[in-house]
Amino acid sequence: MILAAILLAAAPLPELKVELKPSPGRLEVQMTVQRELPSEWVEALKAGAPVSVTYRMRLYRNRHFLWDQRVAGHELVVKAQRDTLTGVMSLSAELDGEILASRQVDSLEEAIRYVVHPPPSDIAIPLRVEPLWLFVRAEYLTRYKVLVFPYTIGTDWVQLAVPESQ
Amino acid sequence: MTNLRRRWQRYRRQNRFLIGLYVLLLLLAGGAYALFSRMAGLPPEDLTNRLLIFLLWWFDLTLIAILLFILLRNFLKLALERRYGILGTRFRTKLLLSYLVLIVVPTGLLFLLSAALLSGAATAWFSAPVEGMVRAGVEVADGVRTEAEARTQRAAQVIASRLGAIPTQPARLTELERLHALMGNHLTGLLREGIPVVELVDPRQRLLERIPPLAPEVFKADGVRGERFGGTLVVRAWKRAPDGSVVMVGEALPENLVRAQSRLAAGGVAYEHLKMERPTITATVVLGFGGLALLVAFGSIWLGLYLSRRFTAPLLALAATTQRVAGGESLEQVPLPAEDEVGMLVGSFNSMVLRLRERDEELQATVRRLDTVLGAVRTGVLTLDAGRSHVRGNPAAAAMLGVPELARGLMALDNLSAAGLPRLVEPIRTATGPVRGSLTVYPGGVARHLEMAIVPLGMVENPEGWVVALEDLTQLLRAQRQAAWSEVARRIAHQIKNPLTPIRLAAERMARHSERASPDLKDVVSQGCSAIVEHVQAMQEMVNSFSRYAKMPPLARRPVRLGELARQVVTLYQDVREGLRVELSDRSDGREVLLDPEQFRQVMANLIDNAVEASPGGGLVAVAVEWQGAEVVVTVTDEGHGLPVEDEELLFQPFYSTKGRGSGVGLAMVQRIVTDHGGTVHLEANQPCGVRAVVRIPGGLE
Repeated sequence: MILAAILLAAAPLPELKVELKPSPGRLEVQMTVQRELPSEWVEALKAGAPVSVTYRMRLYRNRHFLWDQRVAGHELVVKAQRDTLTGVMSLSAELDGEILASRQVDSLEEAIRYVVHPPPSDIAIPLRVEPLWLFVRAEYLTRYKVLVFPYTIGTDWVQLAVPESQ
Repeated sequence: MTNLRRRWQRYRRQNRFLIGLYVLLLLLAGGAYALFSRMAGLPPEDLTNRLLIFLLWWFDLTLIAILLFILLRNFLKLALERRYGILGTRFRTKLLLSYLVLIVVPTGLLFLLSAALLSGAATAWFSAPVEGMVRAGVEVADGVRTEAEARTQRAAQVIASRLGAIPTQPARLTELERLHALMGNHLTGLLREGIPVVELVDPRQRLLERIPPLAPEVFKADGVRGERFGGTLVVRAWKRAPDGSVVMVGEALPENLVRAQSRLAAGGVAYEHLKMERPTITATVVLGFGGLALLVAFGSIWLGLYLSRRFTAPLLALAATTQRVAGGESLEQVPLPAEDEVGMLVGSFNSMVLRLRERDEELQATVRRLDTVLGAVRTGVLTLDAGRSHVRGNPAAAAMLGVPELARGLMALDNLSAAGLPRLVEPIRTATGPVRGSLTVYPGGVARHLEMAIVPLGMVENPEGWVVALEDLTQLLRAQRQAAWSEVARRIAHQIKNPLTPIRLAAERMARHSERASPDLKDVVSQGCSAIVEHVQAMQEMVNSFSRYAKMPPLARRPVRLGELARQVVTLYQDVREGLRVELSDRSDGREVLLDPEQFRQVMANLIDNAVEASPGGGLVAVAVEWQGAEVVVTVTDEGHGLPVEDEELLFQPFYSTKGRGSGVGLAMVQRIVTDHGGTVHLEANQPCGVRAVVRIPGGLE
């Protein structure tokens, strides 16, 4: 038991924790980043630069004898910006370009907490015939290798089976 | 046909271009659709950045693809051309590689240097001092606000504690007014249940009278908040009093200070934003530089290829033309490319072509004239190449030899042998220099007597070709033979008539004496019969000589030591006459010669006999045998009264005699035997007197 507890404690947390709550025709996705955001992202936020974390959600239909078919794609963009004059943090969450929620907080910790744990996204799921898979990832920054080859800093893709609604 | 092919190729090229353009547009449209569908939710700034990066990438990749295509196509084309050995490939390969090295190396180095400089410059922009300054600006703004927050919080706390000690409301309001004035607050308020009971505003800060109230729920706990209002920063702090009321103190920071702070904050935000976008900016500029470098490389390579084609095309055309001319095609001019050095070269070549054409036309005219002449002359002319493998002839030669193909063009010399002319072919093949001779051929079964002369063209040691001239002597020989027979008949008649006259006179004398019954009849008959018998014997000898000349046997050649043969003949003439010496000088060194000894013995006997006959007063008859080159030479020299050697041809004719006796066939037989041996004989005057007969026989045996 002790050994199991030690192993559990030592096991690293997944980078991105995703909780799914299905309902008929809908799926509520709650995402939580469980690791520290890049320091340059935090520094930029502190300095008042607009920063964001983009949560990408891709819904695939698992087909027999065929490749998985992408049936939907969604982006939850959580933006944060600090007013260096007032010290107030403006936060907003936009799902597919539509504002899902917004608020203002007074501290950096609160802002980061909001960004890594955004409001749940409610997305539509198609009529189920085959099993559905959801791929989720959080992206923080875009950087370039050898000056010109772009890559994204973020979590790995997390794959989850979409549960049947009760 | 050529025009049609050119049009078809142009059509195919246009078609390929249109298909390529269509596919390119399709790809572009698909790419643009995918890009815009992915970027629909992006803010304009990100969209611009990504679009710019995408376009730069597309531009660079397209240029790289075009460059690679051009280079690969040219290298593949050159490799194929080199494989098929097309002229000028090596030169163009070297040129292309030189262009490539000269363009790619400096352009690549320039690009790498530019990228490194740019990266360094970008790093320098975001250096630590600049960043520290920006951070300090943000900290100053934070500090000023924090200080204001601390001041207002302390003031609210002081006022709340003072009011908590005052039991009545009027007294509290009085104290509030006093403390507001005393502490110099810009805004002091007392709220109950979130609703202001009283609000005191510094008359110098009337702006605060219009500031919207805070939401009631924020007053559940103590707090402070800064807000932008009316171009300044208003900090409001509130403190709950023990009785549940809330004391709020506000302060509006000076506008100048807030404006400076705003500028500092905006600068800091811009800096941070730029810092965040630094990799994108660097990538954009590097890609831009890359595109520019590729564009320069593309333009340079294209220009290089164009110039190389332009430079090499006239030279290659020139070389191809010279190769075609060397291969035997007709001379042609090369189009003049430009008025440069290459143009001068091409112009010189064209001038040379013009001159050569004129020469060629002159040569053709000469050849035509020569052909006409050769076609008209009665002499047969054969021309052969240096190797004497092929021959062609003029119409006269074709008619003489009965081979019409000779006049139509070149034919193998072996075919002449196959056509029954081996006796003609053999001397042509074996001739090592000018040769003259005669031969008889039988075209169509009819005998033709030909005089032949074989002459090398150019130097004898290394002739450029051979010419054979044939003269048909058949008619001439026939005429000569007829004339000879006439002469023979005349001379025979003369020779026979000479003894007939004394015979007739003797017979008539005997008849007269017989009619008169002359007492001298017996003597007359005896004398007449003697004369008749003598002349009949002479006629008999003459007839025998004719018979011998006419029935000359065929040659029976065998190796003979001519010196020995001459000695045998000379021995017969020793002491033939008083005072006459016949001497032999044998310098033949015992070498053998191929001849008929019996007939040649007759030759020597006739010549020595003539010499003896020509020396009635005695003297010396010298016989000499010696080798001169490949010929053996026999000379018989006398010191007699001589002969009219200028009439040598007459002397060798049969039945011609200067002696007034004899048959006159001696020298004729000598000439015939010597000629049959392939040799020659001629007479020349001996100094101071006499005649020298010289016989030359070719071909000795080693």
